Amino acid sequence: MGLIKNIKSYSEGIQISAEKREILTSFLSNGFPTTKDEEWKYTSLKKVIANEYSIENKGEIIDSSIIEKYSLGLKNKIIFSDGKLINTPIIKGVNINDFSEFESANTDSILQLNKALSQNGFTISVEKNTVLESPIEILFFSTTVNGFSQYRNQISIGENSEVKFIERLQNLNNSASFVNHFTQINCAKNTKVEYNKIQNNTAESQLIDTMNVYQEQDSTCNINTLIFGGSFIRNNLNFEQNGSNCESNMNGVSILNNNQLADNHTFVDHKSAHCRSNEMYKGVYLDNSKGVFNGKIMVRPDAQKIDAFQSNNNLLLSDTSSIDSKPQLEIYADDVKCSHGCTIGQLDDDALFYMRSRGIGIEEAKAVLTYAFASEAIENISVEQVKTLAKKLLAKKLNVDLDFSL
Amino acid sequence: MLQIKELKAGIEGNQILKGINLEVNAGEIHAIMGPNGSGKSTLSAVIAGKEEYEVEGGTISFDGKNLLELDPEERAHNGIFLSFQYPVEIPGISVSNFIKTSITEKRKAQGLQTLPTKDLLKMMREKMELLSIKKGYLSRNMNEGFSGGEKKRNEIFQMAMLEPKLAILDETDSGLDIDALRIVANGVNKLRTGDNATIVITHYQRLLDYIVPDFVHVLHNGRIIKSGGKELALELEEKGYDWITKEADKKWA
Amino acid sequence: MSEQKRQSEDELLEKVTSSEYKYGFTTDVESDTIPKGLSEDVVRIISAKKNEPEWMLEYRLKAYNAWLEMEEPNWANINYTKPNYQEIIYYSAPKQKPVLDSLDDLDPEMKEMFDKLGISIDEQNKLANVAVDIVMDSVSVATSFKETLAEKGIIFCPISDAIQDHPELVKKYLGSVVPARDNFFSALNAAVFSDGSFCYIPKGVKCPMELSTYFRINEAGTGQFERTLLIADEGSQVSYLEGCTAPMRDENQLHAAVVELIAMDDANIKYSTVQNWYPGNAEGVGGVFNFVTKRGICHKSAKISWTQVETGSAVTWKYPSCILKGDNSIGEFFSVAVTNNRQQADTGTKMIHLGKNTKSTIIAKGISAGKSEGNYRGLVRISKGATNSRNFSQCDSLLMGDKCGSHTFPYIEVKNNSSKVEHEATTSKIGEDQIFYCNQRGIGTEAAIALIVNGYCKDVLNQLPMEFAVEAQKLLEISLEGSVG
Repeated sequence: MGLIKNIKSYSEGIQISAEKREILTSFLSNGFPTTKDEEWKYTSLKKVIANEYSIENKGEIIDSSIIEKYSLGLKNKIIFSDGKLINTPIIKGVNINDFSEFESANTDSILQLNKALSQNGFTISVEKNTVLESPIEILFFSTTVNGFSQYRNQISIGENSEVKFIERLQNLNNSASFVNHFTQINCAKNTKVEYNKIQNNTAESQLIDTMNVYQEQDSTCNINTLIFGGSFIRNNLNFEQNGSNCESNMNGVSILNNNQLADNHTFVDHKSAHCRSNEMYKGVYLDNSKGVFNGKIMVRPDAQKIDAFQSNNNLLLSDTSSIDSKPQLEIYADDVKCSHGCTIGQLDDDALFYMRSRGIGIEEAKAVLTYAFASEAIENISVEQVKTLAKKLLAKKLNVDLDFSL
Repeated sequence: MLQIKELKAGIEGNQILKGINLEVNAGEIHAIMGPNGSGKSTLSAVIAGKEEYEVEGGTISFDGKNLLELDPEERAHNGIFLSFQYPVEIPGISVSNFIKTSITEKRKAQGLQTLPTKDLLKMMREKMELLSIKKGYLSRNMNEGFSGGEKKRNEIFQMAMLEPKLAILDETDSGLDIDALRIVANGVNKLRTGDNATIVITHYQRLLDYIVPDFVHVLHNGRIIKSGGKELALELEEKGYDWITKEADKKWA
Repeated sequence: MSEQKRQSEDELLEKVTSSEYKYGFTTDVESDTIPKGLSEDVVRIISAKKNEPEWMLEYRLKAYNAWLEMEEPNWANINYTKPNYQEIIYYSAPKQKPVLDSLDDLDPEMKEMFDKLGISIDEQNKLANVAVDIVMDSVSVATSFKETLAEKGIIFCPISDAIQDHPELVKKYLGSVVPARDNFFSALNAAVFSDGSFCYIPKGVKCPMELSTYFRINEAGTGQFERTLLIADEGSQVSYLEGCTAPMRDENQLHAAVVELIAMDDANIKYSTVQNWYPGNAEGVGGVFNFVTKRGICHKSAKISWTQVETGSAVTWKYPSCILKGDNSIGEFFSVAVTNNRQQADTGTKMIHLGKNTKSTIIAKGISAGKSEGNYRGLVRISKGATNSRNFSQCDSLLMGDKCGSHTFPYIEVKNNSSKVEHEATTSKIGEDQIFYCNQRGIGTEAAIALIVNGYCKDVLNQLPMEFAVEAQKLLEISLEGSVG
């Protein structure tokens, strides 16, 4: 088999700790999850791991015009080339460093692999009482053909601080690169964090992105995931609320075509009383694309007065697209208000007809309605540049030239 | 009938009622007025026995009984009726079924036999007529999908059916158009006898044109700061509350 | 919440959780029982006792061999000690023979039992217009109204009789919807089932009365493995009811039934269950393990509607399902599942849309009290060819007390872009403001909860035939006794 064999031969030539060696050995004997695993029931890794990958990365110098092309033009930029940190901004109250080791709770085999092999990523710590006006932009470029990379990042936000991030992973060639990306965010008391993921990689790119968010009391964390490009995307987004009055918000938009697959797994672990979570995932599926949604809300015993809301709405716009959705509630406390809703359908024929009778062409009418459908989740993004980009990418993907700024 | 003495009560540690004294006798109508947040709804909730409210001092006696010792349903069985400011929806339960249960429970508590369905329906029809309630209403689910006016009318309908000794109308007029207000007030007036009493809680004088009170009390910051006859309501309508609240604030400062 | 309120709720819960199971008596009826344990011989003995033809024995042995290879499923969100299948008695029959044609000849002991269960098998029955088949332990003991039904060509009899008298129908349809290999419990059932009901409604016939089967586990140490096969031929209509109870015993009794429904073109089957097996005591000792496979297939424009009120059993594992094979066919699932004390339920449905313009509706209401766990697990699958299909699902959970759990696991798979699926689920606590409102109108807290719960379940209870709706309401009261009155 492709990737497993690549990992095996790569690992034989590297020096790693006994603990990591043990993790790796266990990974190699168990392999990647299969569709028999409940968490991977609808998403098969078979094709992804059948490919051959190069695990040693070159880390080429990136031309400034390239950076400009993929950046939102914000002043604070963290830039990686094949995992090598090539640019760090200087921001008062924020310490940005290269990769460092840290423990992660998740025992998922893909994270195990990440732990064993990772040597790249960022470590950000934000001091107490730091409020950043300008978001921090994080760019990961890959230059290696068919590269398999592991990034491992940690963010710690000090009490009363507020920070926003924008992250983008960009492959600079058309090969089938594969990234195993892991980010852990620790939100101290009374912090506000927004993390925007722009997933618009090249057509053959593949990604497994895991994010674990730990929240202390009175913290709010918003994670926005925008999926446009890439052949295979699996997002695991996990929240753990460890204090009262936490709020966790998730917004997701997937606009897929061709043979794209996007799988959004979310998990909110309500461990403390008086907390909230809101989740809104919108999916639009064209051509042969496939969507998977798995959202779980867990309310632990004694975590009373929880308000948890989850919605997953999908539009199937071609007869070969499909969606599998698994919204779940697991509730062990009684004084809660939890709900989920899931819809799968098409654009409203009456609305389409109405628009056409007003002289709007069918493609434009569809685009406007699709845009309206997705925009609800986009509207929750607070960074204007991200919002604008999302709208632009949406219009582009729907193949229409419309100004949605109205 | 009702004696409230030095009543102090609050919620989650905040004292809202700071020493209420009020006496209501059979045949009387009392109006309690006051600006928002003065404690009007707290007073009605405490009389009805809402458990979130903690009574910190004072007494309430009703027909010689210590009301504070009774559960909410026991208070209801003894003849206390609260018309809710925000009537609650109970999905899946029809109005007729709800009222039937309510009357049956009350009669059970009083040691009376269950009212035959025939008699109950007859009574419902009479009271519906009194309140100009249309047919089909009885089979609707309790307050579900009711307009504001319908909810309030439903409250008065239940009051008519339960024939309480003391009815407390908590902001029954708010949100009602003039026609609905007339119907509701008319219903209340027709139900008035020499043996029952009514407390009307409102901050609009308008209702008192239709339900004429014997006494008007001004509630402010948890205390009754002025009492008088029906003319007090008119004075309040004309001058607002400031002239009495300022004086009272000085006194209690 | 004030301390006082918490206290009164605790008292209430205490009351709820200490309520007694009303049907926990045993009846002293002499029975013919074989030794415990399962082997090929046992399968042969059961088959021989029933005088079965060779093909039936082969069917059983095949199932038995399949079962040996299978593993007991563990994907459901339930925890229980797996039964020791060698400790179970697989055949027990009341010694009264033969099956009676008239219920007047029934053993007085048994008659008394049915009176206690509140099953009217004589006069009242005729008034209620319900034909009843009664299955005690493993054997059908009485079937009423056989003749009246026969006039219309309707066959309603114990499945053991059907194997003798209508082998062509049984051969054709048995295992056609739930193959023996479908799952662990269906394989077990196919190997050892000793009786159950069989029903055939001929083309174009509207069954003139409700058909009903009452199941009773009586004998200690026995498992109950009944098999129901219901065939509604083209354009026919039938409404079928089943009810079940068991004595209170400290051991866990296994009930592994299989129900197969076949709705031919334009046929309409309504299948209602009020499940009240013994739930075990407040500490979770004893009670029935209810592991049931129920599935129906709808041909063109046919409709199957499942309604269930589940209040009993220590553990329930049950997913009445519809395969919507024919174009324009309709599947429905209406469910109320109440768990109390230490009960666990993992129940829901599967709606498999294969035909065009197929529709399904799922209304599931869960109520969890005490230290129980209630799970909704459901699958809605819209296949590629199921053009213009629709599904609507609503799953609500109501929690009473802070020691119980309620979980919702829907699976939604859509491969057709002209179809619409809507799923909604909510979990909430019984409304304090609703209770206070009722209190203020003189309705005590227990009665208020009863009222609110009844209202909450109304959409499902309304689906039940009249006579059953009343019974179901009573059952809800008993299972939440103290709070529902």
